[in-house]
Amino acid sequence: MAATTDYAPAAAAFAAPRPWWRGKIGLVVAIVLVIVVSYLGWKGEFPWPSELTWGALSGYLDSFQSWLSSKRNVANPSFFFTIFNGLATFLDNLVSWLTSFFFKLTWVGTTVLGTVVALRFGSRRAALGVLAAFLSFALMGLWLESVQTFALMVSAVALSLAIGMPLGVLAGRSDRFLRSITPVLDAMQIVPAFAYLMPIVILFSVGPGAAVVTTMIYAIPPAIRITALGIRGVAANTVEAAEAMGSTRSQVLLKVQLPLARRMLLLAVNQTILFALSMVVIAGLIGGPGLGEVVTSGIYSNAALAILAGFAIVIMAIALDRATESMAEHTDPSHRHVTEAVRRRLHLETLAAVAAVGLSVGLAYAFGAGAVYSGKTAQDWLLAHIQSVLDYIQDPAAAAFSISSPIGNFMVQYGLEPLNSYFASTPWFVMLLGLTAIAYVVSGRRPAITTFLMLVSIGVMGQWEPAMSTASQVLVATGLAVALGFILGVWAAESRTVERILRPINDVLQTLPQLVYIIPFIYLMPVSIVPGIIAAVLYATPVVIRLVSAGVRDVEPNTVEAARSFGATRLQVLAKVKIPLARDSIMLGVNQGIIMVLAVVVIGGLVGSGGLGYEVAQGLQRNEFGLGVVASLAILALGIALDRVTQGNRRARQEIDV
Amino acid sequence: MTKRHGARRGLWAAAVLALAAVAALAVVGVAGAHRAASCGTVSVNEQAWAGSTANTYVAKNVLESMGCKVNITKIAEIPVYQAMADGKVDAVLEDWQHVEQYKQYIAKQHTAVLGGSNGVNGHIGWYIPDYLMKQYPQFKTWKGLKGKESIFKSPESGSQGMFLGGDPSYVQKDQQLIEALGMNLKFVSVGAEPAQVARWTQLVKQKKPVLLYWYTPQYLNVAYHLVEVTLPPRFKGCKDDAKAGGDPKQYACAYDTYPLNKVFSAKFAKSGSPAYAVLKRFSWSNDDQNTVAKYIAGDHLNPDKAAKKWIAANQAKVNAWLGK
Repeated sequence: MAATTDYAPAAAAFAAPRPWWRGKIGLVVAIVLVIVVSYLGWKGEFPWPSELTWGALSGYLDSFQSWLSSKRNVANPSFFFTIFNGLATFLDNLVSWLTSFFFKLTWVGTTVLGTVVALRFGSRRAALGVLAAFLSFALMGLWLESVQTFALMVSAVALSLAIGMPLGVLAGRSDRFLRSITPVLDAMQIVPAFAYLMPIVILFSVGPGAAVVTTMIYAIPPAIRITALGIRGVAANTVEAAEAMGSTRSQVLLKVQLPLARRMLLLAVNQTILFALSMVVIAGLIGGPGLGEVVTSGIYSNAALAILAGFAIVIMAIALDRATESMAEHTDPSHRHVTEAVRRRLHLETLAAVAAVGLSVGLAYAFGAGAVYSGKTAQDWLLAHIQSVLDYIQDPAAAAFSISSPIGNFMVQYGLEPLNSYFASTPWFVMLLGLTAIAYVVSGRRPAITTFLMLVSIGVMGQWEPAMSTASQVLVATGLAVALGFILGVWAAESRTVERILRPINDVLQTLPQLVYIIPFIYLMPVSIVPGIIAAVLYATPVVIRLVSAGVRDVEPNTVEAARSFGATRLQVLAKVKIPLARDSIMLGVNQGIIMVLAVVVIGGLVGSGGLGYEVAQGLQRNEFGLGVVASLAILALGIALDRVTQGNRRARQEIDV
Repeated sequence: MTKRHGARRGLWAAAVLALAAVAALAVVGVAGAHRAASCGTVSVNEQAWAGSTANTYVAKNVLESMGCKVNITKIAEIPVYQAMADGKVDAVLEDWQHVEQYKQYIAKQHTAVLGGSNGVNGHIGWYIPDYLMKQYPQFKTWKGLKGKESIFKSPESGSQGMFLGGDPSYVQKDQQLIEALGMNLKFVSVGAEPAQVARWTQLVKQKKPVLLYWYTPQYLNVAYHLVEVTLPPRFKGCKDDAKAGGDPKQYACAYDTYPLNKVFSAKFAKSGSPAYAVLKRFSWSNDDQNTVAKYIAGDHLNPDKAAKKWIAANQAKVNAWLGK
């Protein structure tokens, strides 16, 4: 791997400026100009021809769904359904067992249990965090819902990691496996849950089981991807050294690759938790009880309550993440030597912890503490304050509105609408060939072929116009997210302070349900398209930041030292050593940025972006399963095209390096 | 290594103890539980909009007054049909004509049954704020709008007027209507209902012109004084749901007025539960529902309190449901 053979990439980066780069830009500009001219000449005159459309797909999908449903809802469904039924029952029971376990402990016992576990296996700080989280659920008056969501999410995260991490290790060690699994992962992350919610419900019925399955579909891919990246990031010479000393494959994995990939593995856990918690609202739609339901009905009838529940989700995500992180750090075998005395102390601590939980449960029962916290809460106070902020935002006479509204209007009128119309009403064949040509110029033949095929399939599915409209927005959002994420990510890698400030912000942006903050935002900028783009950028940037900064920070210190000793300045080290060496991680960041933007296209549809997102939103809610799936496939096709163009560039450059 | 060993042993000890504790507690719990009443637990599904919350909580409080336990689920409109087929949800108290689900689950599979109207009549239409109607009395009908469309201009509609489309999940045919009536309007989809509300309330507060897809009963109608624009009269075979496809001309009429249905799971309907009889009789008016919905969504009253407030003032209606 180029990235791991210490000096080669750095040397390549020091090489003379590339004259062909200038040529590339020139070519792309020329192609864009041709497209613009044809747009001006034949605006809207050549929509995708109906002879080239195969519209039957959505009909077939619809009849498949009703067939499935009618097979399922008979007195004696076939063995096939019994399997799903069993799985659903297992998951239902797991979640409800956990939930009732927490209720049996009473709210006092649950709080003490969480705190003590974090204290025993993690740190005092983590324990304080957990305690604060539980207390805040009580204060918000959302104890019941929080515990329900907590049980759901603990199950989903544990199962996602149990499946995702081993697969990630496999993908880290086998190129072929990684290649074959990547499109599946892309699909799992890009195809909006709205599209497959109904089949899931037919197979798993409604309830916690179906909610866990849906959450896992979205949360497993980051676990696999980041684990694989971590395993791959372990320097090849280290692995070779271990092999040379006669280590078996499993020894190399357990003693070398996994410990050295620790930071990435922690990031995988972190992202799995955050991805899972970002599904809480969707889970609520199919019977995953808890905070998601509060958010959904709150958005319609009590926005302040939806926001409050949204923050409960965020707090849960942060507490879970910090607690698992600190537990992982404190149980890290490479970090401490365990003497007999320490071991005895740990035993005592365990006993004390168990005793503390037992005692608190006993006391709770003695004093009649309920399963659910029912004392005084600050809910009314909190809601009143959130409401007063909302009232300000919703007041068109407010100063904020007089600034934000013209900005929004300007962006739509002179930026987004023209771009939208440019994509959607250029003659289809010009657009198709133009985009393919750009892909060829930027990244070579194979990505160009992929792009062409993906665009053609979008057209054939009858989704050309909405897809072009979505593409224009996706390009803007991806560009912004990647640029912002790259800059902030590198900065965070260089400065601890920046990282410490960004981390909680990222956590909030990744887990606060988008509709919770985008709908108030619409009051400030009441124009379509803008809110959807903002939502996409806010959701996608954190992943880019995280992967970029993890990659840059993981660059081996001795390489950096070497560069410094040659007299390189900090900026030079960054630009010529660290960033080139972190390329794999940065490119995964770009890939995930694109995927995240596409993953919230459906949110865009719910806040006025139109395009494919609107059709997917209709899919679930109006029982247009076929239409929803077709539109989702179009989103996926867009994603694959965009991804191969950016990632193909990497492959091309790697070949040059080698 | 040794440390990990120790930690693992500690973990096992903790797990065993925890399991023992749970087992003990479970025994206590089972022994302590007893069934609430003869009608047992009824699961009523609440949908996202405020009117549905109003139905659900009033029904809940009535059922609780007769000793039933009520479990409120919040499953989305289409998946809830599968939930009823599986007996996980007993009743939906307001269904906006999901005709295809009626075919699939009611007519074909017999896993759900129609429970009659809940008394509320749903009506969709084109609405404008009343100050605009005062200014332009000709806007009473669509003909008066014609030629004046440009006053509804917005940044995203260019020179045309903007028509603010409805929630993608609702029945609609506005693009077909605009085409068939030859209006110079641009259909702008602004997304789900809360997003649409954000758009038009902001315009109404500034007393600007706005033309939108809207419906009754809706608690916001009370606060914002929207008035309906009359569309061409209905004719035989006139369609309302653009999903059906076909020539826009087939859609060139006003939306119909629907009685909103109750739907029950077949298992619940056959169970002989006294709750079923009461829910079957459950029926109230648009005004009743708006009142409770406004308590909940407008005044942010706790739904249970809102329901109790209405019940206290309307005991006669409730008694009729209870069969007294």
